[in-house]
Amino acid sequence: MEWELMLWLLSFFSVAAALGFVIYQLMCLSDLELDYINPFDSASSINKFVLPEFIIQGSLAGLYLLTGHWIMVLINAPMTYYNVNLFLKRQHLVDVTEIFNVLGKEKKHRLIKLGFYVLMFFIVIYRLVYTAVVSIIEGDNVGSHVESF
Amino acid sequence: MASTPPRQDVPPMLPDASSARAQPYSSGPTGVGTQPFRPSTQNQGTYPVPPFRPDQTASYAFRPPPNQGPVYRPPPSTSDRASGYPYTQSSSQPASAGPPLNQPPSVSSTPGSLSSSSYYPRMPAPPQFRPPSAVPSSSGQVMMPQPSLPGQGASAYSKSPITGPVSMSQTVNPLASTAGPFPVQPAILNQPSMSTVGLSRTGQNVPGPFSTSSRSMPINPVPSSGPVLPGIPQSLPGMPVSNQNPAGQHPAGPVSTPVNQPPPMFTSQVSNQMSVNRQSSAPAPGSFSSPPKAPTATPARGPPTFGLPATSAPVPNIPPPLPNSASVGPGFPGQMGTYNVPQGQGLSNPSQYPPAFGSVQSAQYPQYASGAPSLTSDGQLNRATAYPGAAPLYQNVQGLVEEFQSLSMISGPGSMEGSVDASALPRPELQDSDYPVQSSPANCHGRYFQLTCNALPNSQSLAARWHLPLGAVSHPLAEAPLNEEVPVIDFGSSGIIRCRRCRTYINPFAVFTDNGRRWKCNLCNLNNEVPSDYYCPLDQTGRRTDVHERPELSRGSVEFIAPAEYMVRPPMPPVYFFLIDVSFSAIKTGMLQIAVDTIKSCLDKLPGYPRTQIGFLTFDSALHFYSLKSTLTQPQMMVVADLEDPFLPMPDDLLVNLSESKSVVEALLNSLPSMFKDNLNVESAVGPALRSVFMIMSQLGGKLLFFQSSLPSLGVGRLKMRGNDQRVYGTDNEPSLRNPEDPFYKQMAADFSKMQISVNLYAFGDSYVDLASLGTLSKYTAGQVYFYPSFQPNLSGEKFRYELARDLTRETAWEAVLRIRCGKGMRFSKYHGHFMLRSSDLMALPAVDCDKAFAMQLTLDETLLTTQNAYFQSALLYTSSNGERRIRVHTAAAPLVSDLNEMYRAADTGAIMMLMSRIALESSLVSKLDDVRQQAVQSKLVRAFREYQNLFGVQHPLTGRLIYPESLKLLPLYCLGLYKCLALRGGHTNATLDERLFATFDMMVMSVPRLLSLLYPVMFRLDEHLLHGDADIKAIQRLPLTSEKLDARGAFLVNDGVRFIIWLGSVLPVDFSIQLLGIEAVQSGDFNKAVFDGNNNVSKRFATLLKSLRSRNPAVFQQCHFVRQGDQPREGFLVLFNMVEDRPAGLVGYADWMSQLFRQVKQKA
Repeated sequence: MEWELMLWLLSFFSVAAALGFVIYQLMCLSDLELDYINPFDSASSINKFVLPEFIIQGSLAGLYLLTGHWIMVLINAPMTYYNVNLFLKRQHLVDVTEIFNVLGKEKKHRLIKLGFYVLMFFIVIYRLVYTAVVSIIEGDNVGSHVESF
Repeated sequence: MASTPPRQDVPPMLPDASSARAQPYSSGPTGVGTQPFRPSTQNQGTYPVPPFRPDQTASYAFRPPPNQGPVYRPPPSTSDRASGYPYTQSSSQPASAGPPLNQPPSVSSTPGSLSSSSYYPRMPAPPQFRPPSAVPSSSGQVMMPQPSLPGQGASAYSKSPITGPVSMSQTVNPLASTAGPFPVQPAILNQPSMSTVGLSRTGQNVPGPFSTSSRSMPINPVPSSGPVLPGIPQSLPGMPVSNQNPAGQHPAGPVSTPVNQPPPMFTSQVSNQMSVNRQSSAPAPGSFSSPPKAPTATPARGPPTFGLPATSAPVPNIPPPLPNSASVGPGFPGQMGTYNVPQGQGLSNPSQYPPAFGSVQSAQYPQYASGAPSLTSDGQLNRATAYPGAAPLYQNVQGLVEEFQSLSMISGPGSMEGSVDASALPRPELQDSDYPVQSSPANCHGRYFQLTCNALPNSQSLAARWHLPLGAVSHPLAEAPLNEEVPVIDFGSSGIIRCRRCRTYINPFAVFTDNGRRWKCNLCNLNNEVPSDYYCPLDQTGRRTDVHERPELSRGSVEFIAPAEYMVRPPMPPVYFFLIDVSFSAIKTGMLQIAVDTIKSCLDKLPGYPRTQIGFLTFDSALHFYSLKSTLTQPQMMVVADLEDPFLPMPDDLLVNLSESKSVVEALLNSLPSMFKDNLNVESAVGPALRSVFMIMSQLGGKLLFFQSSLPSLGVGRLKMRGNDQRVYGTDNEPSLRNPEDPFYKQMAADFSKMQISVNLYAFGDSYVDLASLGTLSKYTAGQVYFYPSFQPNLSGEKFRYELARDLTRETAWEAVLRIRCGKGMRFSKYHGHFMLRSSDLMALPAVDCDKAFAMQLTLDETLLTTQNAYFQSALLYTSSNGERRIRVHTAAAPLVSDLNEMYRAADTGAIMMLMSRIALESSLVSKLDDVRQQAVQSKLVRAFREYQNLFGVQHPLTGRLIYPESLKLLPLYCLGLYKCLALRGGHTNATLDERLFATFDMMVMSVPRLLSLLYPVMFRLDEHLLHGDADIKAIQRLPLTSEKLDARGAFLVNDGVRFIIWLGSVLPVDFSIQLLGIEAVQSGDFNKAVFDGNNNVSKRFATLLKSLRSRNPAVFQQCHFVRQGDQPREGFLVLFNMVEDRPAGLVGYADWMSQLFRQVKQKA
């Protein structure tokens, strides 16, 4: 059970990080919309976090696949497909020259992503706690079992 | 009264008056006794009116019509001015000294002197005031005193007809000019002017109140002519009579203007009567006496005089065309306006809409005729027409008379094809003015800011039914004709007056309240404090007493000098950096030599001396830097071959002050061609060169002129040949050809824009140069793309020379930002043009000039707007070449309406086409050409016409007829032109990728007049013109663009605003060809050998013709292309494809297009 716990713990931090990235990107976009930031800075700070987020998401999906968490793989598959697709079309980065024309679209996409990561976050927390509790209980059981001997 | 000399004769005295364009506004406050203007809820069509103060029952304040004349004329010295007069010039000065607006008030007037003041205000802006001395001269027999004495004036009006007219003239005059579009009776107007001295000047054009829909321009104000006077007496008596006369008479008749509308007489009469009645009913002599009212007095007089005769008899019927009218009419805008105005307007209103756009324009209207506003200051007269009361009347009538136009489509069962009489199809007239008259006097001229529809929808649901693009065209630096320059205002230390919340600049639509201590922002309705040094008391009408001295309160276009808080750094000097390709192809084509020669010849003409900075970098497979240090005698060249990580060999002296280093620069230019004349290097390291330039220029910004003659092949940003792949057309990958291949260019463009660098690309392509990628640099940096395919010095050299010289010498606005503000509930959602958005509504324009226009789409945010009018303000903050920070502000207003029909009537075809074509071009970057043509052009057109059909199809079941609004009668034709334009036409075989993209880039910056002539070129018969006609362009008879009109015995010229195409018929008389082209060219059949030596009449006239045509379109050099009939494929490409009405190669012709349109409209209707 140790590795299981490790997996969820890793997932937890990863998802939290991805969540943070997406929220940051969204903030950049809305700052841009409200004119608190210029498009150059906005685009460059968004673009800085696009790839890391993709990598995190992709590796998590890979990890679930390897560890046989099929449900998690299914949940992650559409997002992975979307990301890979964007990357292959080289449209993953925000285009600073057209940023205002795609602002609405980019925001919408990121809001959906945000929803996805929030969902992931809760699932992961649940699984993490569940796994932890189970392992503790089991550990207790083992311990008590030992003690009982 | 003797006839006054024509105004023209009086120029020194009244410079302004003479200029037709100047629009003085007429008196501000209207006369006493007028009812307060109340926006009527019913009539949606009310046009934005200058703010009026409801609380003051006596009057309504009209905004003074914007004074278009650059020059502000000081009122007579004697007159009492508001102390605050900002830019006074001594009265004695001729108007010519316009510019210095910011001078401190030279004359302080005593409030006490009513007389002068009283008439002062009325007078149309400054120009009206004549120095006392001037008066007599201008009009031989003028009674000076009258105007001054308030009491007299008033009484006089009422009593004697003569005086009446006089007074009228003064007040009305402005109107007259405004009335231009409308039929104005010159005679009447003139009379009034005669009587009063000062008044006569007033005659500047004031736009008619209603101008919104109509394109017609105000008549040029002509100096009052002598004949007018005589006419007057006649007219007066005639008036009553005329009333009796049935409508049959032409109110308009007198007007010289070629308005040929058969105006529904009744409407005009009615409206006039109304106005008259009001006026007459409430004549308040008392008002005159009081000083504050003085301003109002003029208007008041007008009415009374008017009223006397008028009350009994509606004006319209005024004596039939005064004999004078013909002669006088044109000449006298202002004066004529006085009486006529009311009439004219009344008449015009109804008639105005329909005929307005295409047909009405007469040659008389100058192309740029006063843009001015239709509303004249004179409230009363205008009111009748412009205001609610009158509106319903005219609407009704109009509805009956001609609400729409229709075209009979014989699409019966017999013929599937649906044949249309091609000759009956609407076509633009040669003299169509390109800009509509503005709907309000305080509006800026249409050349600066133009809405696609001058009546905006007040709800989202209505906007959704308007299927055409809703938005605006902004051309902030449009070239203004002489005398119409935008006035410059310096607020000095007090700072520019702006709204606290929305940052709107003070403008003529702002309403002052609280006795002048506050002003209400017209965009956001916030009450702002008026700074103490800007304070000025209000007169009884609620207008500031200094309105006429402050252009920002009376004119739609002004320029403020911006204080230090508008700078983030010291104003930059003009910077010109030349990045020149010196690879083999550049040398071979001769581009380098011409470029260098042109630059050399323009060195002295670069703007901004002595601050101008200049620098050079040349490149092939390496980068060549030049140190131009002023202490050197010869430039020092440094070569950097490291393309991966280019560096600057020296930090300074790569960009130097031109005045200091001029000799070094010249030495460099002299040696450049010889240095590289044997260069065999064919590589082109564009990317590294751009990066180096960026390093050099990033400190200052400026303009980068980038000369490129081959495909970038080395270093970052290298590109592949991809333009020849015709398999891509029709697939989903097709649009990618029109996008930059390498993201490097977009990134570079963004960096350039950030550092205030504007890139103008000069591409010389023997073969594919990938304009899609290279042009991106210009697209996002407010630059421009020039493209010379298959460049040969003897063919395109002159064009290149001209365009480069223009680029270098035209006045340029540096480090500019453009923002368009609009009132609550709406916003501009999308912008189209060459710029980069720095925030959602701020366009960054590193360098912008008079050849660049922008378009934007308007979105309604609120479901229902409750205000009467919508206001727009475009503000361009820039650094002028001489290092001054300035803000150019254009303010416009449009009424909000709830009726779709009103919108159709007020639609502006030019602006619609502009916006539509830009939307289509942008969508061609993401979708296939076929789809673009279908969706962005055709389906929009169909939906709009279907909606219109639904409006009227039910009441008027005209089977077999296509119904369309008069204002949009040319829309299908222009859409067809767009459908077939180079940028969107056909597929792979119809245009090379580079040419297509060049057309796209060009159309993304061009102004409305250029666009329209590109979409539907002007064609006329050249040989007749050269042999018989004089070389006057106005005599040209424009022919429909169809090859049927091409007569093998003649020569024809097609002018599409980009080039001249001259088609020579196969049996054109040889001697004509020889005269035109020279014997050598004719014998050899090689038009390149054509000589225009001007040694015979034909050649001479031809040269004159070209010159005058080119002078009308200075933005580009229109090169002549000669084509002989049957010379394929050249003929097909140059001429036949331009025959918009034909149907070559599977495209539709005009008649087919219309019947197709008709069928589609009917289909789902």
